Amino acid sequence: MSKNLLPVTPEVNMPVTPTINQTGKKGKQPKRSPGEKNGWQRLKNQKALLLMSLPFVIWLIVFRYLPVLGWTMAFQDYQPQNSFFEQSWVGLKHFRDLFNEPTFYRALENTIGMGILGLVFGTLAAITFALLLNEMRFTKLKKLTQTISYLPHFVSWVIVANIVTTMLSISGPVNNLLTSIGLVDSPINFMARPGMFWGVVTAAEVWKSTGWNAIIYFAAMAGTDPQLYEAAKVDGASRWRQMWHITLPSIRPVIIVLLILNIGNLINIGFEKQMLLGNNIVSERALVIDLYALNYGIGMFRYSFGTAIGIFKSVISVILIVVANSVAKKVGEGRVF
Amino acid sequence: MKKTLSIFILLFVSGLLFLAGCGGDNEETNTDGDDGGSTEETPSSDEPVTLTFYNEDGEDKSFDDPVAEKITEATGVILDIDYPVGGNDETIPLMIASGDYPDLIFAKGDIGMLIDAGGVIKLDEMIEERGDHLKAMYGDQLDRLRNSVDDPNIYNVGTYGVHDEPLETSGTFQIQLDVLRELGHPEITTLEEFEDALTEYTEMYPEINGQKTIPLALQGSDWRWLITVGNPAGFAGGFPDDGQWSVDTNTGETIYKFLEPEYRDYFQWLNGMNVKGLLDPESFTHTQDTYISKISSGRVLAVADQDWNINDARFALIEDDMEERTYAPLPVTLSEDHVHQALKDYGFAGGWGIAISSTSEHPDLAFDFLNWMASEEAQILLNWGIEGEHYEIVDGQRVLFDEVRERMNTDGNFSKETGFGYYIHPFPNWGTGAVDSNGQSITVNTREQVIENQLDVEKEVLAEYDMELWIDWFPPQDELQLSNHGAAYNFSIPAGSDIAIIQQRADDITEQRITQAILADPEDFDDLWNAMLDELETANVEKLNQEMTKLTQNILELWGGEVN
Repeated sequence: MSKNLLPVTPEVNMPVTPTINQTGKKGKQPKRSPGEKNGWQRLKNQKALLLMSLPFVIWLIVFRYLPVLGWTMAFQDYQPQNSFFEQSWVGLKHFRDLFNEPTFYRALENTIGMGILGLVFGTLAAITFALLLNEMRFTKLKKLTQTISYLPHFVSWVIVANIVTTMLSISGPVNNLLTSIGLVDSPINFMARPGMFWGVVTAAEVWKSTGWNAIIYFAAMAGTDPQLYEAAKVDGASRWRQMWHITLPSIRPVIIVLLILNIGNLINIGFEKQMLLGNNIVSERALVIDLYALNYGIGMFRYSFGTAIGIFKSVISVILIVVANSVAKKVGEGRVF
Repeated sequence: MKKTLSIFILLFVSGLLFLAGCGGDNEETNTDGDDGGSTEETPSSDEPVTLTFYNEDGEDKSFDDPVAEKITEATGVILDIDYPVGGNDETIPLMIASGDYPDLIFAKGDIGMLIDAGGVIKLDEMIEERGDHLKAMYGDQLDRLRNSVDDPNIYNVGTYGVHDEPLETSGTFQIQLDVLRELGHPEITTLEEFEDALTEYTEMYPEINGQKTIPLALQGSDWRWLITVGNPAGFAGGFPDDGQWSVDTNTGETIYKFLEPEYRDYFQWLNGMNVKGLLDPESFTHTQDTYISKISSGRVLAVADQDWNINDARFALIEDDMEERTYAPLPVTLSEDHVHQALKDYGFAGGWGIAISSTSEHPDLAFDFLNWMASEEAQILLNWGIEGEHYEIVDGQRVLFDEVRERMNTDGNFSKETGFGYYIHPFPNWGTGAVDSNGQSITVNTREQVIENQLDVEKEVLAEYDMELWIDWFPPQDELQLSNHGAAYNFSIPAGSDIAIIQQRADDITEQRITQAILADPEDFDDLWNAMLDELETANVEKLNQEMTKLTQNILELWGGEVN
């Protein structure tokens, strides 16, 4: 095999830089490059690049596409001890079960609810934080703030959940503060209010991820042309004006791209936070799809049912991302594809 | 340029080859192991064989303590113990999905899944041919190990003590010894008297060790809801512990337990406790750590919990010289008409146990190991430890060394570090009522030993009540009917069946709604309770009752009359 691969022509040109377009993503090879008559010729020219990408393509196929074959489970009464050909096919039975299950709709509502809250507040907090950080003058302090702010990202949810429950407990710091400044008469049992659960989860999420998510916005801001600021200053723009009219517009493509990707993941919010922060009082607000799949699917040996939930989630994700992308396309902003 | 590129390609190709090599290797080593294993194992018995063992009740522990070494000496087996991480109940399904089984599996209620998946082997023949120790241990209760009416084979052995005579209770209300002492040793057998005692003591001592007194704390924020909220309600209502079920052991009639009116009464009382400020308002939100630390601080007057769940707190209290803040179990029921069932004889419970996997390379060795664990020699080693190290023989009687007894009662890690008493559960084991061939108790928990283990304060308080043991407070075992069906929580419920799904739904409903009802305004309690009953009906609890009744009746048939 290696024999065929070794003789590589030295003339191979490596067109790396021009493939990165403005939004920072890898684009198509520009069609107008000289000396190329057809696609085949172009492929040949990029042999080295193609070879380099091969391992990743293989990885993608093995770990992302082959497992999709497992989706067939959703249409069978899957028994792990039987081979593929011994399974009994049941059509859409598991999907019907799923859509007839009231608990599932509650899980869906909670997932999307907490997903949207997390997306909105997570994005807003990260952008605001990046903007403020960008305005800081003392470089050392700025670096320190940034480092501290993204530390919570590395803390496990188990620990975060413990911190949150302790902070919000009846005799915890938050209640002590509220009662001592007279905002409330008696301590609020935050963790025992189903209505507050989404809020608690979102707040914990924002606390944990703001610093980390701000990094990418902050990096995008650093790329803004300083001449723009200088020109604005000459025109008498205040710092607020500069933030609003220069910094924000310059990171707009990044914001849009990240938003589209995050919208696609709206339904994939995981279940750790909900499982760790939840308790029996708030469980109707804490049940999310993944937790539902765990408790009623694989935990009960119902692989087929669990797979049906997985397929449902994937379909929703694809729909969401396509819709978000086409909206972005319509309004003429940066998009993912 | 050319050179770097070639190196790159070389690397890539060798990478591919390496990957391919790995893939092939796996299979090769597997078959290698198969051949090598069987030829190697039989002739050379001096080389210990490592058996992998999944223990659903296990923890991080290596098999290298003195007792483990003795076991290895006698059986030639080293256990490699695997355990679930963080109450993970997906381990067995994942095991089945991957087809990768350990040699020995203690799966608790998930055994049904393993049987369905063909992951475990039948033990009947082996028991018949060379399971002498097991036969001797289980005797006529061997039938209780059988799986089901449709599949009456034995797949697992162990877990529960054979011939148990409880000398201690667990899971009922427990009250601080100091409360009993300060209030002049009152008789506390009803919820009313219990509440009065808590109220009175709290008024006397609004603070303990500088912190606010907590009259009653529960731990209802996670799965422990079942043992601190659900089960105590059953005991108060005069029901034996049948998990989530209420069973008529004569007819086999089984219903979902929260449908019984006694449960409503109990939770209404708990609702009142909450309104009066006698229930820790964080009972349903604090974590287990917080709960234990509250108890360890000595300011929780009463709990409703299993001993094993609050053991850490007990050791902490003793360590901090607060022995009077440890707990005494209470035979509290709703009213005088209800009989407390804490001492009920369930018979050998069957059901759960250790199974041998179908993929094990050493099924015979694994079986011989389990068989040996059931022998008298093994049982004495597991219960009493090693002669000269943990106990000595005085006048023909086994007597534990004082320091062993001391550490056993005060050091939570003693058993784990030395292996003393560590390998009793979930292996086949004799119960507290069993005696060896010399007529001595096989377990260390004889009546005398339990008395000897009591703390000084405990003895004082007991003396005031004219009792030797706390169980003397409870209705005695011979007044309670023997359970013909064992205990319903031991039934293996078919995986993914309607029962499993509806029960999960019903449990989700009750855990949430009952908690909300306890914390609600007393005026709303009835409405909330009725709404919950409606929800249960919608969730098809009726069908659940029917299916469970069938299951119980099957058990009665399977065990038919062989009960002693």
